[in-house]
Amino acid sequence: MSVIRRRDLICTGLALAAAPTLLPRRARAARKFKIALSNSYIGNKWRIEMENLFKSALLMEPFASEIEGSWFNSGNDVSKQSQQFSNLIAERVDAIVLNAASPTGLNGIIKQATDRGILVVSFDNVVTAPSALKVNTDQFAFGRMGAEFVAKKIGGKGNVIMVTGVAGTHVDLDRNKGAESVWAEHPDIKVVSRYTGMWDSATAERNTAAALPSLPPIDGIWCQGGTDGVLKAFIAAGRKLPPTAGEAENGFRKFLSGYMGHQVDGISIGQPPFLSVISLELARRVLKGDYPKKDITIPFPYVTSETVKTGETVFPDLPDSFFADFTDAGPHATVKICVDAALDGKACAGRLAVDLPAA
Amino acid sequence: MTPPRRAPLSQALARHLGLALVATLLVIAVIVYAALYLVTQGRLPGGFELTASVNNTMPLALAALARAIVALTRGLDLSIGGIIDLSNALAALYLGTNAASMIVASALILLAGAGLGLINGALVAYGRLQPILVTLATLAIFQGLAIRVLPQPGGAVPESYTALLVNTGAPYALIYVLALMLLWTVLRRSQAGIALLAIGNDEAAAAANGIDPVATKLVAYTLSGLIAAGAGLFLAASATAGDATTGNGYTLTSIVAVVLGGVSLFGGRGSGIGAILGAFVTTMIVNILFFAHIDPLYQSFYEGAFLVIAVVLAEGIGRLVRRRRVQT
Amino acid sequence: MNDASPRDDAASLEAVSVSKSFGGVRALSEASLRAFPGEVHALVGENGAGKSTLIKLLGGRLRADSGVIRLRGAAVALKTPDAAHRLGCWTVFQELTLLPAMSVAENLLLRREPRGAFGLTSQRRLIAAAEALFARFGIREIDPGALVEDLPLADRQVIEIVRALSHDPDILLLDEPTSALMERETAWLFGEVRRLRDAGRTIVFTSHRWHEIAAIADRITVFRGGRDVGSFTTLDEDEAVTLMTGQRVETLYPPRPTAPASAPALTVEGLAGGRLVSASFSLRRGEILGIGGLAGHGHRELFLMLFGAMARKAGRILREGREIRPRSPRQAIQAGIALVPEDRKTEGLLLPLSVGDNLTLAVLGRESRFGVLRRRRLRSLAAAMVARLKVRMPAITSPVAALSGGNQQKILLGRWLLADCAVLLFYDVTRGVDVATKHEIYELMTALAGAGRAILYYSSDAEELAHLAHRVLVLREGQIAAELPAESLTAERIVAAAMREPAAA
Repeated sequence: MSVIRRRDLICTGLALAAAPTLLPRRARAARKFKIALSNSYIGNKWRIEMENLFKSALLMEPFASEIEGSWFNSGNDVSKQSQQFSNLIAERVDAIVLNAASPTGLNGIIKQATDRGILVVSFDNVVTAPSALKVNTDQFAFGRMGAEFVAKKIGGKGNVIMVTGVAGTHVDLDRNKGAESVWAEHPDIKVVSRYTGMWDSATAERNTAAALPSLPPIDGIWCQGGTDGVLKAFIAAGRKLPPTAGEAENGFRKFLSGYMGHQVDGISIGQPPFLSVISLELARRVLKGDYPKKDITIPFPYVTSETVKTGETVFPDLPDSFFADFTDAGPHATVKICVDAALDGKACAGRLAVDLPAA
Repeated sequence: MTPPRRAPLSQALARHLGLALVATLLVIAVIVYAALYLVTQGRLPGGFELTASVNNTMPLALAALARAIVALTRGLDLSIGGIIDLSNALAALYLGTNAASMIVASALILLAGAGLGLINGALVAYGRLQPILVTLATLAIFQGLAIRVLPQPGGAVPESYTALLVNTGAPYALIYVLALMLLWTVLRRSQAGIALLAIGNDEAAAAANGIDPVATKLVAYTLSGLIAAGAGLFLAASATAGDATTGNGYTLTSIVAVVLGGVSLFGGRGSGIGAILGAFVTTMIVNILFFAHIDPLYQSFYEGAFLVIAVVLAEGIGRLVRRRRVQT
Repeated sequence: MNDASPRDDAASLEAVSVSKSFGGVRALSEASLRAFPGEVHALVGENGAGKSTLIKLLGGRLRADSGVIRLRGAAVALKTPDAAHRLGCWTVFQELTLLPAMSVAENLLLRREPRGAFGLTSQRRLIAAAEALFARFGIREIDPGALVEDLPLADRQVIEIVRALSHDPDILLLDEPTSALMERETAWLFGEVRRLRDAGRTIVFTSHRWHEIAAIADRITVFRGGRDVGSFTTLDEDEAVTLMTGQRVETLYPPRPTAPASAPALTVEGLAGGRLVSASFSLRRGEILGIGGLAGHGHRELFLMLFGAMARKAGRILREGREIRPRSPRQAIQAGIALVPEDRKTEGLLLPLSVGDNLTLAVLGRESRFGVLRRRRLRSLAAAMVARLKVRMPAITSPVAALSGGNQQKILLGRWLLADCAVLLFYDVTRGVDVATKHEIYELMTALAGAGRAILYYSSDAEELAHLAHRVLVLREGQIAAELPAESLTAERIVAAAMREPAAA
């Protein structure tokens, strides 16, 4: 941050003030686009990785030469994020990439931004404002994918538990609905317990430990987040580890690849932190005029016990809470980025290629 | 022997020390903000910035006033966030689209808020329970109710309602700010307001003077609920939709606003106007940190540091002025 | 001693066999009181004898467990202060009931604020009305716009009294109204009391100052151990003390120890700050140096500065010839200077903690090894001190809050004795303390001086100074206006010097 950036801002500001602002956007193609990330909560690993990836993207081509980026966190405080948003409008940024504190709470200020010609790209906790572009995954599909995996592994019959997420959010609701739609297809599968893990390993472990004593043998686990915590509670209770569908925590993936004598048969599906990079790319291309203004849904990156690969999709030296899906893998990968970007926001070697779905 | 009687001005200053401090703080904050804005943007903040700041602060201003009223009785109302959630959720669903339904629904929502406040008050006053415990419990209950009413963010607030409460074209919402200050002034000069302050000063002494602590607490919590529900309406209006969880943040930020506003959490001292100004100071802090381009990771650190400094300074100045007055 | 002859006319205020217990402790047991119209009725007794409890019952602050209260012959239920007020019975309680962060005017006019449009009041109206009230009662010194918390205790007491008077009470109850007042204000109060009495009203008051009781009471009821032990129209002090304590106290004041002509323990040169303009004196070991004068003339500042609790503006303090600069009580204590203040509850004692803990608080550092307290030694130190000071208490483990005022005072004193402080600052320590405990404090003070400690002693009671001090410095307008040696020490001379009247030979 500091001096240089501020001086840049001053210069741009003065230039803007001096230049007739009514010039069409194309005429100003020589200058960099100003794109800001407005993030709400920054208190968990996922968000930190998400923001690190955004920062690293800004350091890599083509973004480094085309974009002047900035980022802001407001915590889970809608009014603060709204106030920051209005300050971004005042700063006359070209686009705002948004992970919102509330799907609806910012709709009013978003409309003000888009009315002024500012592009708003919302991801992860997407907003309902119609004028904002949305980049997300299909959370219903998340729920289904995991549940289908578990159903198949246990032969469509048995006791499963559901460890849900933060109540009152779209993500939680949709994931649960997805899972329920699968259970409905398998009458012999019984959901014997359902409790929240708050997408947090410690909470999931605590709540699982509390629930287990009263539960019959469990044949399958469906978990939205904090999966490694759930498994740790099973181990502590001396239970055998059943087929598990869970999130992309490194800790869970360690179990998938065989961890301290425990091998779990499971699937790890991640809400990818690189949504921020895809949103940035979408903003860049829309501003440049070579991509239509449309919402994007990207497929979930996932691995199973069979496909998990050390150093690529699981990292034995990194903490359990690290989200191992910071990069996509495979031939159809949307974003491929190095681990340093996720850890420290550093630039990776070479250009950053983001493969948006065909326009 | 006869001490010189102080001039009315200095006397008023002594009585409203907290208010004077927060007003000064606000002026300083606005100046710093404008200066930073000028440096970074090459122009001064104008109509949009003023309007956005005022509109954005409205819910917090209301929440702060609601909190101040209870704080003056030496109570801590944690359920304010829950009431805002519920009122916000109800507004998103039931405001309707015509003027009549909007008025009726708004009035009913405000009444509901007052009712919830009354429940808090009854538990505190009759149950003789710790306000912090009572309202921690009712906070969870109100939040649960809100999620039940609006399980996922959505609903809609008509544009006309938004235009009326938080018009984005011009800072008309300043009228509501003035109305809130007037509301406080009326309360402060009424029997009920004096009773609020009195029981916050010393409940036993107030009771010895014939003030009914039970009735006074009922009034305080009911008013707090009513005003918190108003915050929910403003929140819904500015978001143009509802979210049953967005009110949660106001539980804590309103404490910040109230403390900055010179209202003692230990009761009996301060003014609702101070709390409202305190809400605007918190908004200005967000603005200042934004335009100072503080690294976002350190933003909360600076916010915290600023708060500590502001509170320590206010306390220090208060003590200095007090000591000087006692000595002369 | 004259037993009060039963009067024919009806009593205006009667308590018949009232009892009141607090969690098993009997504060009042079948106590009775009869007061008549046109009478000033004094309640006397040691602290804890039940006077304040009875006044609270009569004022509607507490409800009796049993017994009857009659006003003008009719049994009444005084459930709330309001109920008492409606019957014309107003009370000035010992613990003041003013609201600190509100203005004097708001306090005076609470619940009867002058109202304008829409039933709203304003500070302007309030102040005007308060000024009128003050004018009616001849008060000029108090600013109605000031916050109560900014006023000295005496002013607060006056406000509380004016508030009660302004209701034109039929029955006025005053619980130790003079303990916070100086002579001038006391004279004012007595004038008002006499006026009410002459108008046929009933005034009940309590006081520990015998000369006040003698000056104004028409009838005296003595309380001991929660019940009345007699009602009298005339009674002298010794008789009263005997009745109050159940034993004879030969003389209230112990003989003065002879002051050794030793080197000064404490020397003060040109000390100034706050209302204290300049004070220079020296205090020798074994000496009781009295400080006299009216409140507000710099006494408080003098004591606070010596104790490091207030910043000095100028001047030097020397402890045994070496200059010290106490910037906190902690530093003062390290230099061997301790303060026993007037208001025990706010200045020094930790009420919820035990007697033992409070006593040993200042020596915890000394009496610990490697940061671990030597509990057994602390216990024995505390036990010895309790015995030496004759503290009356349920147990050494009971909270200090359970002790009477005088005994609390002793605990605080004991703490400094344990800490081995050579210079003791006594600031009005006997205010609001009963006679028997006063006597014990006097004995202790002279014993301490006899043992070589240097004592600086301020009292609002000139009589005390005259009897106990080796010499008295009278402060007036922040300066030492007179030094009175023991030979010519009388209460009258002290008061005269304080008032700037030429001392009578």
